[in-house]
Amino acid sequence: MSSAVESFNRIRLIAGNTFLEAVRQKFFNSLLLISIALLASSTFFQQFDFGTSELKFITDFGFGALFFFGSILSITATTQLFFNEIENRTALTMLAKPIYKLEFLAGKFLGAHLLMLCFTVVISVVLAGMLFWRETELMAHLGDEFTGGRLIRYGDVFLFGFLQWMKFGILAAITLFVASFSNTNLYTIVVSFFMLIICQLQYIARDAYSSLEVGIGSWLVQVLGLVFPNFQLFNVGEQLVFGVESGLPVVTTLQITGYGLVYTVAFILLAQLNFGRREI
Amino acid sequence: MTTPAIRIQGLTKDFAVGMRGVKLRAVDGLDLEIADNEIFGLLGPNGSGKSTTIKIILGLLDASKGQCGIYGKPSHTVEARKSVGFLPEAPYFYRYLSGRELVRFYARVCGVPRVSINEQVDSVIELVGMTEAAHRRVGTYSKGMLQRIGLAQALVHDPQLVILDEPTAGVDPLGAAAIADIVRELKLRGKTILLSSHLLAQIEGLCDRVAILHRGKLVREGRVDELVEDGQAESLVVEGLTAEGMVAVEKAICEQGGTLRRVEKPRLSLDTLFLNEVKQREASRQSIDAEEGGAS
Repeated sequence: MSSAVESFNRIRLIAGNTFLEAVRQKFFNSLLLISIALLASSTFFQQFDFGTSELKFITDFGFGALFFFGSILSITATTQLFFNEIENRTALTMLAKPIYKLEFLAGKFLGAHLLMLCFTVVISVVLAGMLFWRETELMAHLGDEFTGGRLIRYGDVFLFGFLQWMKFGILAAITLFVASFSNTNLYTIVVSFFMLIICQLQYIARDAYSSLEVGIGSWLVQVLGLVFPNFQLFNVGEQLVFGVESGLPVVTTLQITGYGLVYTVAFILLAQLNFGRREI
Repeated sequence: MTTPAIRIQGLTKDFAVGMRGVKLRAVDGLDLEIADNEIFGLLGPNGSGKSTTIKIILGLLDASKGQCGIYGKPSHTVEARKSVGFLPEAPYFYRYLSGRELVRFYARVCGVPRVSINEQVDSVIELVGMTEAAHRRVGTYSKGMLQRIGLAQALVHDPQLVILDEPTAGVDPLGAAAIADIVRELKLRGKTILLSSHLLAQIEGLCDRVAILHRGKLVREGRVDELVEDGQAESLVVEGLTAEGMVAVEKAICEQGGTLRRVEKPRLSLDTLFLNEVKQREASRQSIDAEEGGAS
């Protein structure tokens, strides 16, 4: 067997084991239940009689829940799965085997990312189900507003879920990078949340400094814009589900996916730089 | 000349301590050579550098100075670790897996071929005496059982070198004796075993050679018999001697130019006494059970 295949198998095994450990954690199950409950609670708004706007409201609510709880889960689960190995010293047994530290890190990342895939799929399915149910009901009551058929493009719900999952991937890789030099869970979680806020709001800084003339300030903004990924690129909810006729162009989707992959790989490699020197 | 299992030359490890990075020397210019198919004991008090040395051998730590090789390969390489099995001190494993699943998982990580994996897993589980408990979750295991399943995961890819860090720490004498039996069996199978311990009595009869570390430095090294024997004296163990006979023996010794230093009753070690008593009771209980089983 070639070494690449062997390496892939080891990463797959570590990822599978990490995923198994993650789904057994109460935190994941609790967060999943809370997210579903919150999503389901959005049907409460039908009492306000918004008409077809209710569907837009539920969609925004669902996308918001996916982003909010997904970000929490991505950071905390990655941190916990990494530090469990260090604190329980299972990493010692694992790294004494013929495996590379990068394989270990990649396995941990993929396990956490697999967990996020499950979370994203469940939330997306619940959201799509709720939208379908409400839309069917509204079609029966407000038939004249649905002359062109259904308003919702359900595939877009899952496309949005996929792009959020790519974003969670970057977030998990950033968390792994912070964990690679951090000594505690708490420090990793706090710093990762700060990183999330910076990545989420970096467009404000870009806008504010866009008027700067070429100089050190402008140069600094450009560098920071490269170091911290721009999470606003993934927030395409406005163009999806109810947006323009054609939805999000395939090329744009692929570009966003590529952008996510590049940052994910970059942060995993940065994590490896630290972890390679770390004393276990 | 065969390649030694482990060759350590001038190994030094410094740890940076505190914000100012003050250096703490954990291992200081260590030279060691462990031959193939040898049981080698790395002895020393807590903090003497045993675990640090083991971690460097396993590539988990980088040496500050010096070299370390496993069967001729630099020890920090993945290639070198293919021939190594490791049982860490006070091992902790994935609690949600059963013993068999755990050993199987590590077998797959180590690249044991699919066709032989079941056979290999069953074989090591049997070797460590965990067949009956292999289906139970690791979280329910006692300390001794954890050590044994830990040994199984260390052996599952059939490594030539087995490294055991404090394998009997926190284990009762029965468990420690069982681990010692497994180590002897491994030697019979041609393996090299490096074990570290500060429980000297437990490994005295087990190791071919030992090295004693203190504050990271090698204090003594050699064959156990040579290190512990008193070269100036001989001992005679006599049975059924009367008081008169004793006087006659003493006189004969004097006549031959010797000196009788002391007369004492041979003593069993507390470990041996404990093991004998427990084994005796276990054996009689089993025979009673067998008789009752036969009668019913």
